[in-house]
Amino acid sequence: MDEFDDKEIGRLLRLKKFEQPPPDYFENFLHEFHRRQRDELLRQPLWKIAIERAQDFMLRLNVGRLASYPVAATAVLVCAAVLSLKIYQTPQAPSVAQIQSTVPAVQSDWNLASQVSGVMVAQPRPVFNANLSTHRKTAPPRYVLDSMPVSYESTLRF
Amino acid sequence: MDQPRTDEDQELVARTQDGDAGAFDQLVVKYTPRLYGLVYNMTANHEDTNDLLQDIFAKAYKSIRGFRGKSSFYTWIHSIAVNMTLNFLKKRGRRFHLSLDDVDASIQNDKEFLELTATSSPVREADLSELQRRLNEAMMKLSDEHRAVVTMFHIQGMPHAEISKILNVSEGTVRSRLFYANRQLQNYLEEFRKNPVS
Repeated sequence: MDEFDDKEIGRLLRLKKFEQPPPDYFENFLHEFHRRQRDELLRQPLWKIAIERAQDFMLRLNVGRLASYPVAATAVLVCAAVLSLKIYQTPQAPSVAQIQSTVPAVQSDWNLASQVSGVMVAQPRPVFNANLSTHRKTAPPRYVLDSMPVSYESTLRF
Repeated sequence: MDQPRTDEDQELVARTQDGDAGAFDQLVVKYTPRLYGLVYNMTANHEDTNDLLQDIFAKAYKSIRGFRGKSSFYTWIHSIAVNMTLNFLKKRGRRFHLSLDDVDASIQNDKEFLELTATSSPVREADLSELQRRLNEAMMKLSDEHRAVVTMFHIQGMPHAEISKILNVSEGTVRSRLFYANRQLQNYLEEFRKNPVS
């Protein structure tokens, strides 16, 4: 008896191609394929079907270049939108309240040797507020000082 | 095994890409028998083969719009089939039961079958059915990758170059895997020849 060489192994293995399913298997295979495809389609959520249809539509329109780089295309569109907003947007007045400094601006060339009047003139004059007066409006103005000092304490009497 | 006409496949693929589902049906009918042989000899189970074939064609139908024709449809569909089957076998692990039947009695009158078994060889001297059973067992002892190469080369009759394209490996790797697998099969069958009752 010869040994099993490569040729014999090959010959034996080629016999395996005769191992086939029943003849009606191949006839029914296509029907089974269609049935499974339908079942799978029914199980899919609506959004998934919509996306697939959209992809098909894009491909049929021959915009494969755009469809193959959807992220890049979206990024370009977003950048363009942002840039156009920046360019055409009119600047608005700042809504932050501005507080004017009460300190007068001092001349930059002022130093200790400068005259005082120059500094003092720049200071605003205080506004007189009549409401802050302690005198009664109905009383006539007095030009004589009181003989007694103003005090709420009783004077010491012995 | 002769490869189908590429231009005919290209036309069917183009029609499918244009939305003609009937064209894809023709591709399914055309490729089911040869893909059945490929998957069946890798899984050794009829039910698994049936489920896998359905999944393979479903995946092909979903992906066919992205098929740009860099390779032939024949290579492309075989790549899908081999990769999906290898993934399936990895998940299944060693949990399988052989359902490979002995050679069908009806094909024992087949001309090609008679030619293959007519020559004086160990095949004739041993019980053919028993030898086939042993061969199936030996096949399942091979790793999934080695079994894929043996199936494509010996059973499907594909050339090394085509197998290398399908598996996306070099021709040298294909030859190396084939050599190793043949040695393993020989050793196993030699044990059977020496101890036929074991």
